[in-house]
Amino acid sequence: MKLDFHQNHKLLYGTIFTGFVILSLIIAVFPAMWVQERNEPLPDSRALTELEQKGLNVYVSEGCMYCHTQQVRPIDMDAVWGRPSAPGDYARIGRQDVWRQTPAVLGSARTGPDLSNVGNRQPSEVWHYMHLFNPRSVVGESVMPSYPWLFEVKDDAGPDDTVITIPGDYAPKQGTVVATEKAEALVAYLLSLKQVKLESGETADAR
Amino acid sequence: MDQASTKKPSAVLSPQRPLTVEKARAGERIAASRHSTQLVYSYVAFSAFWLVVGTLAGQYLGLKFVWPEIDSLSWLSFGRLRPVHTNVVFWGFASLGMIALALYVVPRTSRRELYSYKLGWVSLWLMNGSVVLGTLLLMAGINNGGQEYREFIWPAMGLFALGLMVSAYNLYKTIARRDVREIYISNWYILAAFLWTIVLAAIAYLPGYQDDGISQTVVQGYYMHQGVGMWFTPMVLGLTYYFLPKLLNKPIYSYSLGVLAFWTQMLFYTMIGAHHFVFSPIPWWLQTVAIVFSVGMLVPVTAGTGNFLLTMRGSWGTIARSYSLPFILTGVIFYALVSYQGTLEAFRSLNKIWHFTNFTVAHSHLSMYGFVSFLIWGGVYGLIPRLTGKEPPQFSVGVHFWLALVGLLLYGVALMIGGTMQGLSWIAGEAFIESVNLMIPYWVWRAIGGTMMFMSHLIFAYNVWKMRPDRLKETEAYNI
Repeated sequence: MKLDFHQNHKLLYGTIFTGFVILSLIIAVFPAMWVQERNEPLPDSRALTELEQKGLNVYVSEGCMYCHTQQVRPIDMDAVWGRPSAPGDYARIGRQDVWRQTPAVLGSARTGPDLSNVGNRQPSEVWHYMHLFNPRSVVGESVMPSYPWLFEVKDDAGPDDTVITIPGDYAPKQGTVVATEKAEALVAYLLSLKQVKLESGETADAR
Repeated sequence: MDQASTKKPSAVLSPQRPLTVEKARAGERIAASRHSTQLVYSYVAFSAFWLVVGTLAGQYLGLKFVWPEIDSLSWLSFGRLRPVHTNVVFWGFASLGMIALALYVVPRTSRRELYSYKLGWVSLWLMNGSVVLGTLLLMAGINNGGQEYREFIWPAMGLFALGLMVSAYNLYKTIARRDVREIYISNWYILAAFLWTIVLAAIAYLPGYQDDGISQTVVQGYYMHQGVGMWFTPMVLGLTYYFLPKLLNKPIYSYSLGVLAFWTQMLFYTMIGAHHFVFSPIPWWLQTVAIVFSVGMLVPVTAGTGNFLLTMRGSWGTIARSYSLPFILTGVIFYALVSYQGTLEAFRSLNKIWHFTNFTVAHSHLSMYGFVSFLIWGGVYGLIPRLTGKEPPQFSVGVHFWLALVGLLLYGVALMIGGTMQGLSWIAGEAFIESVNLMIPYWVWRAIGGTMMFMSHLIFAYNVWKMRPDRLKETEAYNI
């Protein structure tokens, strides 16, 4: 059999296939294994509570990461969002379930603000509820979508309900706005996003 | 109109300067089997359908930037509809369009019938099933962790991967049984794209090595880049290595340049995924490797476009008289421009300004649309009339071309300028909301350009309908 790419289809496609597999192992699979093995949660961090984990699932389900990053870069322009993100910040994130992989919380676009440290920057629960019900009720120029399906409008709110007071123009004509469990979970997750201290001497770079 | 122009000849439009010039007709019809024509046409028809669906979603998303209160339905919300747009145009429109053409080109250049028409249909239904299921799940809020272009959860993407494997086997068997000694360069690119994408899908979805947030990001960079670079790019390049010389009726300028571009594409492109995460907490060396190989991409891109443009040299008249070749010329030019732009975006100094901004959105549309989609349309208009013997109205092909091109330029230029302004606003340390406010006029222009693009797709769908084979009508009547 001729060893000629132009005439030997087994050789040609065999090389194409194995070559790509080898390159992919070198550039993606092995580095991923390597970082996964070494990545440790930061000492001051804690695992998400059950409610916060549910909130992360709502965050993913609604596609929040298409407009919000959770990734502070080690450059001056990002200092406003907090300290530079470190691998340890993402060590506790994992697969959601057997159907869904680890969420891409780092994000790729900053149509809205970075959320790495939003729990410290905006610690008010009430603000987050109002903002999710209608972002323009708290930030007039916002282009973020409203999430009314995370809320219920009830005529009579019960004693256990989380009632949200919405300013005039944005409030429903009748009834009171009550947060669903999903809204409570999402707000709990957002408030959990607080950067913790890096150990002294540790840099933002991967070890 | 005629009378008016005799009275007062217009400087712009007159019988001597008509609005449209008649283009060359498709000429000889290709003798292809009924099976082949029906299969290829069905892929094209579904491709056109998904184009309309996917860009209707895209068009609607564009409006939401300037009109965030346009609806308040969860299934139509931005975060759910955005992956619908990208996945439908990727796996529905572009993939089916490319495979349609490949199902013709591979057998033709192998001088064999397709190995199995049945497998061709199986693959089509698997892929359609994948897009339908994946889209419904996305709209219901079930996605694979918001990982760009792998938002379909594995059962949905699994159907697509299965379709890829069936088609790859089908095409491999066709090539293995070829009636010519040499494997034509188109078939290097086309079958390689299938093999690479099967590997890619497996690596993207297998568990075990991408379970924390950083390893997930390493694989995501690899995947989102190769999804474009090892599937769409080699497929449309392979198809162009067939359609360009065929439609110009002359050989490709340099065969070996095509081979050089092929191997450098595989070597360099595979290494550059991490340039989507420059300055991120993934290993710094991985980012640097990606940036270095991004510069290496100048080799295959220059070899590829140079080869195509040198093939076109001296045949500009033929291109002007054709209604399919202008699409191919546009696609080739965008291939070069957008690839050079991608290299620039990878440099840390420029990445700082453009990363996270709307500049990225411009870049992805210039590549998937200006490059990939235009080459698909060029192939469809070049092939289908010769296959079915039915030509689309030349006027509506012209309208498709100009609406798509002008729409894309408005879209791309607006977001490139707006994106740069966003980046500069952040660097200047202005309040974040300023970077939202300053985008409003650019988002309006994007919506205008996007509307033109969407209208051109309706016209494309109409043209596909006009090119339908007669035999299809007969079979339908027979079935009833």
